[in-house]
Amino acid sequence: MTRGRGSSHLTLAAAALGSAAALAAPAFAEAGSQWRIEPARTTIAFAIDAVGYPRTEGRFDAFDGKIAIDFDRPEKSSVAFHVCSASIDVGSATFSDYLRSSAFLDAGKHPSIDFVSTSVEKLSDHAVRVSGDLTLLGVTKPLALDVDVERPTGLKGPLEFSARTRIDRLEFGMNSGFPLVSRDVDLTIKSAAAEL
Amino acid sequence: MRSRASRWSPAIVVLHWINAALILALLALGWVMTHSPFGAGTTFDLYQQHKSLGFAALALTALRLAARLASAAPARVSGWEGLVARAVQAAFYVLTLAAIAAGWLVVSASPLPVPTKFFGLIVIPNIAPPDATLFALGVLAHWIAAYAIAALVALHVAGALKHHWIDRDDTLKRMLPRR
Repeated sequence: MTRGRGSSHLTLAAAALGSAAALAAPAFAEAGSQWRIEPARTTIAFAIDAVGYPRTEGRFDAFDGKIAIDFDRPEKSSVAFHVCSASIDVGSATFSDYLRSSAFLDAGKHPSIDFVSTSVEKLSDHAVRVSGDLTLLGVTKPLALDVDVERPTGLKGPLEFSARTRIDRLEFGMNSGFPLVSRDVDLTIKSAAAEL
Repeated sequence: MRSRASRWSPAIVVLHWINAALILALLALGWVMTHSPFGAGTTFDLYQQHKSLGFAALALTALRLAARLASAAPARVSGWEGLVARAVQAAFYVLTLAAIAAGWLVVSASPLPVPTKFFGLIVIPNIAPPDATLFALGVLAHWIAAYAIAALVALHVAGALKHHWIDRDDTLKRMLPRR
């Protein structure tokens, strides 16, 4: 249920994709090409440490992302990502249920974790910085993500992107178990998007 | 062959062995979950099983105490060994209840409140609010009680086996199911 983190990753990734595409394919003149995330090739994973407890690693299985890429003007690209917070999976049904509860993701009240980009900046031919707003537990905070972008199969193929970041869960009011449970949540997003 | 008075009552015998299995399971589970070689998900499940089994032990201990007080105990072994045996038996009740109380305090006062669902069915209420100091005290008390119980188990088993193999008397047999 708590795939919010994943969604934020996705959003970031999507943003990264857009920027990467812009970087990699200057020949593509059509502004605002539309891309869709391929769920089967997308992983939104998170990890969090706790005192005297194994590192908790999990992922979000349900998400939806849209990317608009302007190859001529990368800064005009955008990404919107939504992760279903209830789709959290940490390898134990009871543990996942607990993380969906009000102690953490509060999936009943906050079913979606959202990332919406506000700007995209090209860093290199294979990297973009996607800045945007991450909404978790109804709290919106700015988040910037450096996204690596690859297009392994050539100009017509899907874009692959990956990003890692760390968020402070306390900023979103997710205080349960702190300081026993770390405030830092590591997010890892890997995804692929195909042009529509 | 033996007269009934020389044995523990069937109820006491059954409860003793169920409780023995439960205590060994709790000790093993408690050690494994706090030294977990498994991932966070499995470890979480082990903690929840430990909590459920702990409350099962509370119910069983209450039942055992009632059965013990309601039925006549066979004559204790003579001399200091008999006194030690009775002291160990009494200490089992005291330490078991202390370990359960401390465990209940730990889950209640934990800074990370995870509801205790008895085998996924009933939510067990907390007995204290989240409090880091109470939590730390509870963890220490639970740890001491657990290791004391483990030591008592060793003493208790050594005593029983000594009677069985060295003294060759009926002390162990009278706690075994009737043939």
